[in-house]
Amino acid sequence: MDELKFRRQAYEDPHNQDADFLTQINAKPENQALINELKNLDAKLTNALKVDVADDLADKLILRQQLQQHHKQRRQTGFLVAMAASIAFVIGVSFSLLRLGPVDLAEHALAHVYHEDMALHLDQNVNFNQVNAQLASLKDFGNAKFTQQPGKVYYTSYCDFQGVKSLHLVVQAEQGKVTLFIVPLEKRMVLDQTFADGKYQGMGFETADAFILLVGEDKADLSYVKEEIKNTFI
Amino acid sequence: MFANWRKKSVEPAVSSDMLSKQRRYNSLVKALHADIFRYAYWLCGDKHVAEDITQETFLRAWRSLDSLKDDKAAKAWLITILRRENARRFERKQFDYSDVEQDTLEDNISNSSEEQTEQYLIRRQIGKLDIEYREPLLLQLIGGFSGDEIAELMELNRNTVMTRLFRARSQLKELLEKNDLRGQSNG
Repeated sequence: MDELKFRRQAYEDPHNQDADFLTQINAKPENQALINELKNLDAKLTNALKVDVADDLADKLILRQQLQQHHKQRRQTGFLVAMAASIAFVIGVSFSLLRLGPVDLAEHALAHVYHEDMALHLDQNVNFNQVNAQLASLKDFGNAKFTQQPGKVYYTSYCDFQGVKSLHLVVQAEQGKVTLFIVPLEKRMVLDQTFADGKYQGMGFETADAFILLVGEDKADLSYVKEEIKNTFI
Repeated sequence: MFANWRKKSVEPAVSSDMLSKQRRYNSLVKALHADIFRYAYWLCGDKHVAEDITQETFLRAWRSLDSLKDDKAAKAWLITILRRENARRFERKQFDYSDVEQDTLEDNISNSSEEQTEQYLIRRQIGKLDIEYREPLLLQLIGGFSGDEIAELMELNRNTVMTRLFRARSQLKELLEKNDLRGQSNG
């Protein structure tokens, strides 16, 4: 190892432990002196580099981290609560909009007749064209309409069958009045052919576009209206 | 029953995970905060800025503590984060710390006044050293890294690092000897 290389290495790292380097140190007293000088310098430098560190720096570092962790956790729990709340909200809304499960039309029809008792006592003498106009505004309903007057129509109104907009009519039969419901077809609806309770008889059938439900006091009247509808409603 | 059993077994596992991460972080802080702070200080020349950089460095370290696989590499890992943090500071705003005129007269009660004066002079000279020469020297003396490790940290080749170390020491030696001479002639 030449002198220059030795000096270079000494300045690069006086604590170098390479065998070559160590031999070179011991080869000459000047080398020894240079190394001692440089080691001395290093010791001084190392000392000088040790600036005071605030006693509480370590504590501060841990504190900062824990505060941040705390915030993060709060943000996370906040996020989870918000998430849970919005999921609950969406579930609530969708349940109220789409009531799932089959709907029993017959039961509904009877309840409706009892509820709108008034309808059986009114006489609006409705023209079938007016009924057709109302039919046309039903959602998800085909082009079905009455081709002629299906006997006297006393009453007509929209009504709600489990969220499905339907038509409520009261027509004249042979003996008395019959309530007629026209409900747009929907899969979850279940329709019984005939139904009854203590007071009313009911009858249900399906056309191409709608469920038709008839409710009246006399069974013969129902059959009469059914025939009438079959002839006038397409 | 099942829900109870699951709750009991899962929650402690999570919190013990957190706990061991926390312990690891705490020991990292205790063991290395002084070196990291000093390194930051000699990099930027201002105690407050150095403290800020140290804070940022350790916060970042906490966030990615899971990526530190080998605890022996912790110091190099922290220094890498610190150097990036320091560089980011320069991206944000160009501070002028080239003239490091720091509060160098530290209260070292144990040291005699002569030693204090000497240390003051040495610190001034280290501060005056170009950052490109100063940094490898810091890594060698504070970090205790080898030439290869410094080269890797600074993304330089080893020869460049060694040349810079050589120049750093020669400059400091020369400057301090000059000071010595002047001191003698004055005294």
